Amino acid sequence: MTNAHAPLLETRRLELAYGAFKAVDGVDLCIRPGTIHTVIGPNGAGKTSLFHCLTGERRPTHGSILLDGRDITRQPAHGRVGLGMARSFQITSLFQELSVHENLRLAAQGVDGWKALNFWQRLDTRKRHIDTADEVLERLNLTERAGIPAGELSHGQQRILEVGMAICARPKLLLLDEPTSGMGIDDIPTMTRLIGELGRDHSILLIEHNMSIVMSISDTITVMNRGRVLVEGTPDSVRNDQRVREAYLGEAA
Amino acid sequence: MLNVYLFQVLNGLGLGMIYFLISVGLTLIFGLLNFVNFAHGAFFLLGSYLCYTLVTLTGNFWLALVAGPLVIAMLAWALERSLIQRIYHLPHTFQILVTLGIALIIQELSIMIWGPVGKSVPTPELLQGVVRFGNFAYPIYRLFLIAFSAGVAILLWLLLERTRFGALVRAGSESTEMVSLLGSNIFRLFSITFALGVGLAGLAGVLSAPLRGAHPFIGPEVLGLAFVVVVIGGMGSFSGALVAGLLVGVVQSLMTTLWPQGASLMIYAAMAVVILLRPYGLFGRA
Amino acid sequence: MDTKTGAVASKRNGATPLARPGRIRWAPGTTLAMLVVVVLLPVVLPSATLATEILIFAMAALACNLLLGYTGLLSFGQAIFFGAGAYCSALGMLHWQLGLFSALLLALGVGAVLALLVGLLCIRRKGIYFVMLTLALTQMAYFLAYTLSDWTGGDNGLLGVPRPPIALGDTTLVSLASPLAFYGLVAVLFAVIYIMARRITSSPFGSTLLAIRENEARAAALGYDIRLFKIMVFVLSGAITALAGALYAMLLNFAPLSNIELLMSEQILIMTIIGGTGSLFGSLLGAGSIVLLGDILSAIWPRWMLLLGVALIAVVIFMRGGLWGGLTSLLQRARRASSHDKEA
Repeated sequence: MTNAHAPLLETRRLELAYGAFKAVDGVDLCIRPGTIHTVIGPNGAGKTSLFHCLTGERRPTHGSILLDGRDITRQPAHGRVGLGMARSFQITSLFQELSVHENLRLAAQGVDGWKALNFWQRLDTRKRHIDTADEVLERLNLTERAGIPAGELSHGQQRILEVGMAICARPKLLLLDEPTSGMGIDDIPTMTRLIGELGRDHSILLIEHNMSIVMSISDTITVMNRGRVLVEGTPDSVRNDQRVREAYLGEAA
Repeated sequence: MLNVYLFQVLNGLGLGMIYFLISVGLTLIFGLLNFVNFAHGAFFLLGSYLCYTLVTLTGNFWLALVAGPLVIAMLAWALERSLIQRIYHLPHTFQILVTLGIALIIQELSIMIWGPVGKSVPTPELLQGVVRFGNFAYPIYRLFLIAFSAGVAILLWLLLERTRFGALVRAGSESTEMVSLLGSNIFRLFSITFALGVGLAGLAGVLSAPLRGAHPFIGPEVLGLAFVVVVIGGMGSFSGALVAGLLVGVVQSLMTTLWPQGASLMIYAAMAVVILLRPYGLFGRA
Repeated sequence: MDTKTGAVASKRNGATPLARPGRIRWAPGTTLAMLVVVVLLPVVLPSATLATEILIFAMAALACNLLLGYTGLLSFGQAIFFGAGAYCSALGMLHWQLGLFSALLLALGVGAVLALLVGLLCIRRKGIYFVMLTLALTQMAYFLAYTLSDWTGGDNGLLGVPRPPIALGDTTLVSLASPLAFYGLVAVLFAVIYIMARRITSSPFGSTLLAIRENEARAAALGYDIRLFKIMVFVLSGAITALAGALYAMLLNFAPLSNIELLMSEQILIMTIIGGTGSLFGSLLGAGSIVLLGDILSAIWPRWMLLLGVALIAVVIFMRGGLWGGLTSLLQRARRASSHDKEA
């Protein structure tokens, strides 16, 4: 990051079409380093499709994605991790039968790419990954539960671990897909605090439904509607934008 | 010379219809229940043996043609109720292993009952002999086989496309919740579909018995061929099973004239090529 | 070194034990137990030939376990490698006068290359399609072997497979003609492969396999190239299976067509599952019990395979951990009971 003002992630005329239907229709997105950038929009606005293009799950039908100025449009999902992107899943996706610590260690090890093919060294010699996992455990307040299978964590803790696995890769950019989805009302403040904290050392692209979170932690908000960018700006400007109200009201009506 | 090829193409159509009956049952079960029945080949085998027994006891092929598939469908129904229903919640691997166990049991039981050597089944009297078209002669039974299974295919298509049952099966293939929303008992639908799919394999077994007899070790071969058809045609597709079944049947039949030892081999090689060029089958989408 | 890892462990969590890689426990214990079994087998069993057969199939089951238990890949293709290993080593010895180790190396190489090809083809599809493809390819290999009867002997099998001695140049060091001597060779090879496999499964590579088994999508999102890992484990498994096949041909002095039949794949799978998926020692247990069962029953009841079908269903429904799973839960219960006694 030689230039603090250069975008960390940029999409140019990004398009994802399913036949005639364009789920993402010419989106230009620009995420500045060190910010929490949230994408919101009514159901079917194309948030998830956009997210899938960014993670590499779907290949866009048109346009390009640049990370730090480098074109990653055709990188497969696993290839993007080494370049500094990590993601969480909307529906909790853990290694259920493996221990919490092992979940995080595997997440740290994934950045190594080819080196993870090492089939001779024992695990405990890979101290770096173990240390990373330990640090993240502490940060997530899960140290007490390190040894139990991830599937036995409470639902809220599983959501926290879900996000935690993404930071093990020490990414430049964190992609978080509705981190509070399915969380109980009691657990949401914990998650909000965690994301806020993560925002201090990472750039974050967040997709979120919960407006109180969005408004309290975002630096920039992009509102999508029907596959396009409707409005972009600070929380305050978005809150007061007439077009945004109409888009959401249109959904309600 | 041309007649030889015509003969083989017709043979291939008959064979292909048998492959279709097997694969469409497999596909039907997979579409709704989302699991692959590895005992499918074993039920085919059972169909052939039931045909043998019924024909030997009563001398009536028509009885075997009706009763054989029915008995097998009932057996499948009972099996689904008692065993298969317990494993729907398990991962694919476990479902495969349970049906593999069933296949082994059926195969070994068949050998206990009918012995390790194959049995031949006589062609029904009414269908013996050949039809002549000029200087071309063709066995009546084989023509009957093509016509009969084509009739079954049409009935099956009507059942799936034009009835409430078919609508439920199609809805269930998309989402099982939908069926419950439609107010139907999803578990009953599962049982019926499993019985129907397996019954079709049994029917294929009965139909092929007068041509090829009944052999205790035919199960894996039939299963393998059904997989070839399904991989080429795409799982869960009625028309895919029909086209791919006929294609495999005709190719195999033609190869028998050109290179008898390699006929079976070529079918599998063709499948490998299809997978290389089109991983999702000829008619499948990603 | 020890102090470092110790410090890490204690820093991590005072009360909870070291985070375990997956569910594998008691690793050093099972290696020791394996060695004890390997030494005792020929003593306990009536014939060294039977003991050899057990270890050969344990080797094949272990290889199958790497796929099924550690990576979650259910493959019906193991017979391809088993059969190819038997045929190729036998043909090498018959036609090129290969020595013992060259023949075994040839089998390893052929197994690896075939597994690479089969893997590349099958891994194009996931889940159920993968399983169906492996099954269809086994059928293809069977018909290929059947068609190439000039080489394989077709239905009659390949007769007169030699069992060369361990030799250095032209000097024979150890003759393997006696069943016990051959058992020695197989036992050493098995132990080496077991220890290697143990090491591999507890390496970063092995831990990633477990991750793939648990959740493929997540593993890919974490940066792992799933296809690469799957193909690697396929090659590893294929090579070991082919080695087992080669040893089996040497044991029987014969390479039957049944080596490459679907039923062989099924038998290897059943041994793996009944022994316990995800446990290397379980593979030894599974192979041992089924080879023994077959040996005892096949003479008095030729349809004993019926029992395998029943056992397979029973294991899936009642005891998914297999024999090893049953054994460990028994041991744990006993342990818990004894610790309760101490407290009381």
